[in-house]
Amino acid sequence: MLRIMQEKGGRIRKTHLMYKANLSHKQMTSYLEELEKNGLVEHIQEKDKNLIRITNKGREFFVQYAQMREFEKTFGL
Amino acid sequence: MKIVFTPDWFLTSDVLIDVFSFVILILLFSLAFKSYKLNKNKSSLFLGAGFFLMAFAELATIITKLPLYYNTSITTQIGTAAINYNFIGTVDIFYYFGFFFSRLLFLLGLYIIYKIPYDKKITKDFLIILYLIFVTSLLSHSLYYFHYLTALIFIASIIDNYRKTYQKTKLKTTKILVLGFSVMALSQIVFLFSKFAYIYAIAQTIQLASYVILLMLIVKIIKDGKKEKPGGDNPRYA
Repeated sequence: MLRIMQEKGGRIRKTHLMYKANLSHKQMTSYLEELEKNGLVEHIQEKDKNLIRITNKGREFFVQYAQMREFEKTFGL
Repeated sequence: MKIVFTPDWFLTSDVLIDVFSFVILILLFSLAFKSYKLNKNKSSLFLGAGFFLMAFAELATIITKLPLYYNTSITTQIGTAAINYNFIGTVDIFYYFGFFFSRLLFLLGLYIIYKIPYDKKITKDFLIILYLIFVTSLLSHSLYYFHYLTALIFIASIIDNYRKTYQKTKLKTTKILVLGFSVMALSQIVFLFSKFAYIYAIAQTIQLASYVILLMLIVKIIKDGKKEKPGGDNPRYA
């Protein structure tokens, strides 16, 4: 979900996220709550649109996650 | 019996190479541990444990070499005390244990890196291998090449694992990893003849080169992770 948000410039509509991540509404809401609780994403209002935006903490986490994925792939883990 | 084969002109460089190796191994351990914390992947934890043991082996070497090479006042006091109280055996035991633990931890670390990240568990064979590593480390005190030969066999097996990984992934970072361990294997071959002081220095320099390559690998992994741009066109994450 964080990757999809990154791809969309850091903000995305809930419905777009749901389709792109191939999740049900219930699943997405549950995951978003978890991400929000950890301060990785936030809800914002922009031109009457309800959007979800990745926070700085979320971006940092995403970079760290990408590095760890790179590490695991390098070592074939 | 000669404890180390380091020529006098190489003493400082020798310890500095060990310190550098220690730092690189700790960095690899921290990457593996971070990876475990994020993904709860047990393989990463075991890989990290392998690097941690190798780092500890380097630390044991440094701690043993420092008073041996530099602390002349302590060495003199020990020498005087040894003459006065006839406890030369105690001094021997310090160096003996220092290098013994260094060899034991190094081989154990290599074995864990070779075996456990892919098995994801400790099998009953582990106890047998642990015993054999223990015996090898004991024997290496009088037959120094035993340690380097065993290390060479473990490193060759590690290279084979990573070569297979490279064939699957074709990742540049895995190629660098294979290169790093190959240079480390070469250093072990040269260490086999390290009874000659200048060959020991050459072997240590080759080992330094292997750790420099591993440092380049760490830098590349961190850079590539940061390159994961908003466009997200990295197909590996698709």
